[in-house]
Amino acid sequence: MNGLYKCTSMTLRQTIFMLLIVAMSCVSRGARASEAPLQIIHVTTDAASVERGADTLMANCHSCHSMKYIKYRDMVKFGMDKQKVDAWRGDQSLDTPLLAQMSENDAVQSFGKAPPDLSLMVKARDGGVSYVYSYLLAYHNSPDGMLQNPVYPETKMPDALGISSATDDTQRAEIKGKARDIVTFLAWVADPHEAERKRLGYYVLVYLAVLTVLLYYVKNQVWAKLK
Amino acid sequence: MPNRIITWVDKRFPLTSFVKQELTGYPTPRNLSYLWNFGFLAGFVLVLQVVTGIFLAMHYKADVALSFDSIQHIMRDVNYGWLLRYMHATGASAFFFVIFVHMARTLYYGSYRAPRELLWWTGQGLLLLLMATAFMGYLLPWGQMSFWGATVITNLFRATPFFGDQVVIWLRGDFTVGDATLTRFFSLHYLFPFIIIGAVVIHLVALHSVKSSNPSGLDLAAKDNIPFHPYFTIKDLYGLGLFLIVYSIFVFFIPDSLIEPANNIPANPMQTPNHIVPEWYFLPFYAILRSVPNLVGGVVAMGLSVMMFAFMPLLDHSRIPGGANYRPIYRIQFVLFMLDMLLLGYVGYTPPTSTTIIIGQVATLCYFGSFFLIPFLSRVEEKWLVRRGLPPAVMALMESEALAIEQSKLKHRRHGDLL
Repeated sequence: MNGLYKCTSMTLRQTIFMLLIVAMSCVSRGARASEAPLQIIHVTTDAASVERGADTLMANCHSCHSMKYIKYRDMVKFGMDKQKVDAWRGDQSLDTPLLAQMSENDAVQSFGKAPPDLSLMVKARDGGVSYVYSYLLAYHNSPDGMLQNPVYPETKMPDALGISSATDDTQRAEIKGKARDIVTFLAWVADPHEAERKRLGYYVLVYLAVLTVLLYYVKNQVWAKLK
Repeated sequence: MPNRIITWVDKRFPLTSFVKQELTGYPTPRNLSYLWNFGFLAGFVLVLQVVTGIFLAMHYKADVALSFDSIQHIMRDVNYGWLLRYMHATGASAFFFVIFVHMARTLYYGSYRAPRELLWWTGQGLLLLLMATAFMGYLLPWGQMSFWGATVITNLFRATPFFGDQVVIWLRGDFTVGDATLTRFFSLHYLFPFIIIGAVVIHLVALHSVKSSNPSGLDLAAKDNIPFHPYFTIKDLYGLGLFLIVYSIFVFFIPDSLIEPANNIPANPMQTPNHIVPEWYFLPFYAILRSVPNLVGGVVAMGLSVMMFAFMPLLDHSRIPGGANYRPIYRIQFVLFMLDMLLLGYVGYTPPTSTTIIIGQVATLCYFGSFFLIPFLSRVEEKWLVRRGLPPAVMALMESEALAIEQSKLKHRRHGDLL
């Protein structure tokens, strides 16, 4: 190759402009309604945690909140204890979606607003699981005795987990554990195929990596024939 | 037997000669860098979007009462429906990413120069079609951002002179974005990809007539053009492998990073989201729209900002080939333009405050300014570079091109004399 092709060695410049474009596609996502800082957490997809979350949620949230995109059968299929699911569904069929026990009318009467469906809650908020977790734990009493929630000040929901009245540390730690379980379950409800997706993703990436390395060597071999 | 069939076909249809001339034997400059892979990648993503889209359409319901639920049905109940949907949603972003690199490469190396103007303009048409298709597709999940995005953008057509309001109603099929809008967007979202395929064929016909540009900007001697197969088939496949790795990381591990959280809330015409943002690939143009305080002005500025690229062959007066390769001033301009795009993208993303509005207005001025400076700067730069000295091959090409222009002028004059 002579000077004519010197431009093929301009990799640095090319890299810079590729990076610019990549950076552009990754503009940070911020903007929330309230600017209260969130407690950042990560939840697992492991079955035991999800099932524990289901217990906590069915006991504390399900009387008012629906999760209409999940059916009782999905919980059985996931591997939760069949007897427990049967107890939750009562005389409803396994294919009934998880509707709230309280009617929407009654809920509006009690709270002034219909409680939202929780199926996609962790996906529908900036911050995801961290948002819901922080929201559940943000309840506290103001000096003049009003219940407040800085994460979502307009909320109509009562402090279901009782974090605002918990004083000693063991009790608070227990409530935090409950909140974590709840969001772990909600993460599964919002994206039931997440574990499967990631498992498949590793196989796909390994396959593609091997394939790409092979293609690279074949490419070099083919191009080596050129004088 | 297969040979006899091919001979039979060849007598009636130019199969072998077509494959040989346009595919396997198609002469391609040997010095193409990996930036020349992105045209092929765009074609690949197009096929990927069409295929996943056809399967999604089998399960999707275009009805305001059902579409949000049908997406959840796809995500939860359809076998590998989540994969189809995430591939399609990520594919839209991948498409724009690939197209932006493809366009940036063309701008950097001046590939739009004569004789490739029509190739560039068909590409510009493809960009518009792609934007329209992506915009209509974004309404289909019927989330909050789908609904409000479509409301804001269709509302821009109010800027049409004389019958703006009627145009908006005509586009929506209703006074507000509703069922009629959803069904027509679905219908057109299914139609447009096939128009895109047709336009891609035209783009390729133009390409095969003028052939690929190359980083040197020079016409290479016959020995430096090599057959497409096997050299570029294998190079494109290797590039595809790299692309698929990045794409798969998004699809399998961070698919929701490209979906606005608010779009997981069903569309609600009674409740405006705090902050309406378009998809990342529209952000710079959206920032330009918002930077102009007046509706008509904003719409015209946004439309122009997308169309400005088409004027490049007319604006760039430099006779030096190879774009930024031999032109340091143009290179600086290119980098600054990229940074300006990023800045506009950021401004488009953040909620407007008095500071970001001013930043956006300055960035918008820089955006258009960098185009309008090109006719002037390209001439000054050319004079300077010719005085400073250019590689002999570049000078030779410039002289031969100048000669060709002179000769064609002379020919026309002679024709005129005869008449």
